[in-house]
Amino acid sequence: MVDALKEAHRILGPHGVLIDARPDSRVVAYAERKTPTGTYGQAGVIATAREELANDRTSDDAVATAVKNRWFRSKRSGRFWHRVLFEDRPAMQRYLGDHARFVHRVRWMVDIATRRRWEGDAWAIRRAVRYELLERS
Amino acid sequence: MVTSTSAVGRLLPAVSSLLRPLPADELREYGGIGLVRGKRVIDVGCGDGRMALGVATYASEVVGVDPDPSAIRLARAKVRELGVTNAQFKVGVAQELPFADEHVDVVILSWSL
Repeated sequence: MVDALKEAHRILGPHGVLIDARPDSRVVAYAERKTPTGTYGQAGVIATAREELANDRTSDDAVATAVKNRWFRSKRSGRFWHRVLFEDRPAMQRYLGDHARFVHRVRWMVDIATRRRWEGDAWAIRRAVRYELLERS
Repeated sequence: MVTSTSAVGRLLPAVSSLLRPLPADELREYGGIGLVRGKRVIDVGCGDGRMALGVATYASEVVGVDPDPSAIRLARAKVRELGVTNAQFKVGVAQELPFADEHVDVVILSWSL
């Protein structure tokens, strides 16, 4: 990863900008059910898989090295949220089963009877994305 | 959806772009179109071109690079389908980008690092 940042530094002109954006595993994601009024309500919490947490830490270390080496300086950073939409709860569960980023089990905030009642409703995973704009030194 | 590994890092299927924010939304969060307007932009780990094609509307030139040839084929098909003239896609790895020194204005690592 450090090599990739060094290469980005090489091809960027003076004051060029590197945009680094990736899932933010410092905060949990949420399983949300779409309500009849069209809003989304939190129904569960989804943690990041351990392997992905390790990958994210490695990425953080790479960026820190690039800044420490003065290849880049941080201009701005932030976080935003977005929803991955699913037609129903089984579709969301299939995604969690197949996808490496999250643990496969949701930590539910609603009981099983409620979940069954909402089974066919639209669902979403709301997750955080972190970004940093780095200016080439 | 399966994540695999290779010598160049993790290869993620291009379909994963369907699960990501819209490029316009992402660009707005980073600071808006001014960030790429009239600029030469490289999208590293571009996958099927989601972000690269999203910024092509504003940038002077966009090149997407990805180690996955099938993703690059998808991106090139999108270029043809959309009639985009200022975007191209190349198979390559982030550690050895096929560009001269100080060649570009913006490098995007969107969900790539």
